[in-house]
Amino acid sequence: MKTFAAVDIGSYELSMKIFEFSGKNKMREIDHIRHRIDLGTETYFTGKLSYEKADELSRVLREFAKIMEAYKVEEYQAYGTSAVREMENSGIVLDRLAQRTGIRIDVLSNSEQRFLDYKSIASKGEEFDKLLEKGTVILDIGGGSIQISLFDKGSLTATQNLRLGALWLRERLGRINAKPSQLEELLVEISDAQLAVLKKFYFKDKEIKNIILVDDYLSGLLGAKAKQAQEARYASAEEYQKLMEFLRKRSAGEIAVKLGISEENASLMFIAAVLLNQVMTMTGAELVWAPGVTLCDGIAYEYAQKRKLLVGGHDFEKDIVDSAMSISKRYMGSRKRAETLENLTMVLFEATKKLHGLGKREQLLLRIAAILHDCGKYISIASLGECSYQIIMATEIIGLSHLEREIIANVVKFNHEEFIYYEELSRDSSLDMPAYLTMAKLTAILRLANGMDRSHKQKFKNIKAQLRENELVLTADTGEDITLEKGLFTNRAQFFEEVFNVRPVIRQKKSL
Amino acid sequence: MGEKKIFKNPEYYTNREMSWVLFNYRVLSEARDKNIPLFERLKFLSITASNLDEFFMIRVASLKDMVSAGYTKRDIAGMTVSEQLHGLEEQIHELVELQYSTYNRSLLPLLEQNGLHVIKKQEQLTEKEGEYLDKYFESNVYPVLTPMAVDSSRPFPLIRNKSLNLGALVKKKEGGGELEFATVQVPSVLPRIVELPDDKGKRRVILLEEIIERNIHKLFLNYDIVCVYPFRIMRNADLTIEEDEAADLLKEIEKQLKKRQWGEAIRLEVEAGIDKRLLKILKRELSIGEEALYTIDGPLDLTFLMKMYGLEGFKNLKAEKYTPQPVPAFVQKEDIFAAVREGDILLHHPYQSFMPVVDFIRNAAKDPHVLAIKQTLYRVSGNSPIIAALAQAAENGKQVSVLVELKARFDEENNIVWARMLEKAGCHVIYGLVGLKTHSKITLVVRREEDGIRRYVHLGTGNYNDATAKLYTDIGLFTCSEAVGEDATAVFNMLSGYSEPLHWNRLSLAPLWLKDKFLYLIGRERDAALSGKPAHIIAKMNSLCDADVIAALYEASAAGVKIELIVRGICCLKVGIPKVSEHISVRSIVGNFLEHSRIFYFENEGDYEIYCASADWMPRNLERRVEILFPVEKEELKEELLHILKCQLRDTVKAHILTPEGNYEKVDRRGKETYNSQEAFCREAEQIAKEKREEPKSRVFIPETHHE
Repeated sequence: MKTFAAVDIGSYELSMKIFEFSGKNKMREIDHIRHRIDLGTETYFTGKLSYEKADELSRVLREFAKIMEAYKVEEYQAYGTSAVREMENSGIVLDRLAQRTGIRIDVLSNSEQRFLDYKSIASKGEEFDKLLEKGTVILDIGGGSIQISLFDKGSLTATQNLRLGALWLRERLGRINAKPSQLEELLVEISDAQLAVLKKFYFKDKEIKNIILVDDYLSGLLGAKAKQAQEARYASAEEYQKLMEFLRKRSAGEIAVKLGISEENASLMFIAAVLLNQVMTMTGAELVWAPGVTLCDGIAYEYAQKRKLLVGGHDFEKDIVDSAMSISKRYMGSRKRAETLENLTMVLFEATKKLHGLGKREQLLLRIAAILHDCGKYISIASLGECSYQIIMATEIIGLSHLEREIIANVVKFNHEEFIYYEELSRDSSLDMPAYLTMAKLTAILRLANGMDRSHKQKFKNIKAQLRENELVLTADTGEDITLEKGLFTNRAQFFEEVFNVRPVIRQKKSL
Repeated sequence: MGEKKIFKNPEYYTNREMSWVLFNYRVLSEARDKNIPLFERLKFLSITASNLDEFFMIRVASLKDMVSAGYTKRDIAGMTVSEQLHGLEEQIHELVELQYSTYNRSLLPLLEQNGLHVIKKQEQLTEKEGEYLDKYFESNVYPVLTPMAVDSSRPFPLIRNKSLNLGALVKKKEGGGELEFATVQVPSVLPRIVELPDDKGKRRVILLEEIIERNIHKLFLNYDIVCVYPFRIMRNADLTIEEDEAADLLKEIEKQLKKRQWGEAIRLEVEAGIDKRLLKILKRELSIGEEALYTIDGPLDLTFLMKMYGLEGFKNLKAEKYTPQPVPAFVQKEDIFAAVREGDILLHHPYQSFMPVVDFIRNAAKDPHVLAIKQTLYRVSGNSPIIAALAQAAENGKQVSVLVELKARFDEENNIVWARMLEKAGCHVIYGLVGLKTHSKITLVVRREEDGIRRYVHLGTGNYNDATAKLYTDIGLFTCSEAVGEDATAVFNMLSGYSEPLHWNRLSLAPLWLKDKFLYLIGRERDAALSGKPAHIIAKMNSLCDADVIAALYEASAAGVKIELIVRGICCLKVGIPKVSEHISVRSIVGNFLEHSRIFYFENEGDYEIYCASADWMPRNLERRVEILFPVEKEELKEELLHILKCQLRDTVKAHILTPEGNYEKVDRRGKETYNSQEAFCREAEQIAKEKREEPKSRVFIPETHHE
């Protein structure tokens, strides 16, 4: 049995969930503690945290630490989200908090955060995969922004972040000073433009049946319909329309009394309800599922996977790869070539494990770099490297941290351009030395693979790589002429040699 | 909507203060009941006196505050504040008269007949008796007296709230014949009743003030005593704390406590026949009007009768003492947690012992698997074993959180002392919530067991007070159900200042959700009745005065719901109003034990639900306090609770029925069996405990495996 604490330093709330893992695949929530604190407003506008807020944060975290102690929690994971991200001096603040409270906080990028949200849904088990069999949209409504992710035929095909968070919208509406009766109309007007773009790009020809809602506002209401907390929280489109009618007819005050929630939450709930309604209308979905999970569930799920406390379940790596593929597709990358490169890099990665000492995660990064190796050509073939870099840096890839994304962008860039060494690169890059080294090693592998497929004719379909003393022997089983590859290969292999001090050699084995 | 308004017509409601006076009459009727042992009757009379004191200090005082604040709103029954005050003055004067006629005409003669002679006046003492008492005065009383005389150079002394005093007119031995006022407090540290040595089997007692009166010349040596009379005052003591302003709640309450003794005087009691000149001085100096003056025919402050009850002997004149019985589920069980794991356990106090609750916390304190203990404490007995166990637990390294309600009426001083003690022991102490009184009674024990964390919860209708648990009827429930455990954790998170949980499983909390829950449950019965299905509500509580709930009950009754209410104290609802409350009956049970449990039964179309709560149907419970309503779900326990309600509805001895005229009358027993529900519960508990004891013990021999 293991006890674990997941801490979420959100923009408007600090929360902690205590979980217990026992037996096989058993994950149980024991406690859920929430403390309201508005960190977001300050850090969004000033970039800093006031003395009072910092003090309150520190006090509550100390209490959290005590609660962990009481439950004899063995391990914990604390994540800060956008409010911490936006803090200019987050390094100083987080270090001080760690000193004073004993709780170390890691910062999540938006895409990592959404990925965890999405893991939190998966923590609810099979229901998730069942829904994904049909076209499904995940609508994740946060305070500042919303994330819309599309699953088509079981794979993640698109994900977009829109600045339409519930608190953000309410603040906007407050400035317009809208009458309650106009509220919905205004909300639709503000959000429609952004949603329309989304529809045009992604949802056009997709058949979407389900929507999964993740939020702190509306899920509770959908859940309240179910008598048991564990019971599924589903609503059909028709039922949802009834709910909308109920909300439309009442003021925030009335809703608050009726549902036993605060008036503030009632107004946020209405905003969330309108957003969901729009997405439902836009997609024509027939079913809403609100699993009622929070980021903390995702944190715990991630932890459990890492510690192998839970086995099986959803394949998240596939989702990351899927979403990279759909990005490549958007920029008209060559599927076939990407596949060849992916294959080659994977073979090379496996064969050179002893040399690079990298793990599974880095392998995934390499794979994504291979998939996205040519996305920049959509803009300019001449400056392919730089354009690819820019595209990758500006595109969210769900499940990857900012740092990981930067590694990939650089690997792709230096696949085409001259490598820039740390001493120079570090001037305008956030890569630290370990990340830089990873990047260099992956670049070396991708370059080598790229060299082996110079003609883009996929001549090296069946290749074997073997490490021998100072040589990496690559045996190609092909009947084709590989003179071009052999010729250009030396050039490409140079960097590999520089990084690993091992010379790659190509041999051809002609099978008949 | 219009329909509902009809039910809020002030004519359909009784003023709560008037209803309270009726309650005190019911207690007084016990003192007048010839079927009750004589000394028990003394006790009831004493209770009416202390009830009245508290009523003055809290209710009358707050009405007076409202008058001075210019408050003009009418109450639930449409009365203005001054109308209420006028009504009360009249009624209370009548009540006091009945108290003293009970004392003088019934109780005193009976005491005399039974061998206890109360010497009413020191003038009636024999010489020998006088000598004995003078000695007693000199060695015991004189050293603690502080006599005070008033003249132009010395201001009128501060007379302490609720204290008994002797007032005298005195004249300087030398010099002019000018009358001066002098006073001495009858010390509250000495016993009010003094027993004289036995005289041929006849026992004699006299009150302390008579002994002082006899010796008063020894206090004012340079004066001649013109006259001496006892007097007593009551001051405004409604404690209203401006919580938003008080930086430190604890300090504020300490300050308020000191101030409380010197509030404005709102009642002056004097002995009948008091010297007019003396009375005039008192009235002037204490700013007392005619309406607040009570001329008493007998000893002031009848609470001394409780002490008289405690006199040695007279066993045949007292009710047999009842010993709370063991709870069967815990009999022969070493491990209290194991017993709870076998299923929910219901406790009915004081018929059943409170010890399992104390043991629950004691065991938790030393159990190595217990991680945390959390509890709300409202009123706790002095020297409470629970406090000791909590402190022990903290010292054993458990996480102990205790919410101590400092705002419990009159108990603040007591609470502060042990709250500090708990803090010192390492407990996390929360001193109440700003703006809310925490009245809920809940304990949570978190235990780490082999198959994971398990939560044990105790929920109750009464305070965690082992002393009152022997006198108050209350319900307690032990459970380790996952759903209740989750809710209990959420309750304590909320009490620690964290946000409310995203959902509740079983519990309903005031002030956030409880009232709506009750209104919903009542409304559901109404709907059932409207659609022609059977509908029935039985509710037992201490007081009923929430207008919204009463209106909902009227509406339900009008729809045809059968409503049986068991309300011990205040009841603002009226029965028998055509088309409004024809289907409602109200009964009040006033017996040896103070009825305190709150139980609510709803028919729910045949699948009945039954709840217990810490809350009455009063606005203060539903709106300004933290309260918990919990369902009892296990079938046998539901039946047990229903049985309790049914027995109380059957009571023909201690039950008073509210009439449509607004009076309470004892049950007309003609053609009915004599049934005393409290008595019956005592016998049942004894029977069940006996059966359990006689259950065949295990025939398996247990070999000793260790030799020490």
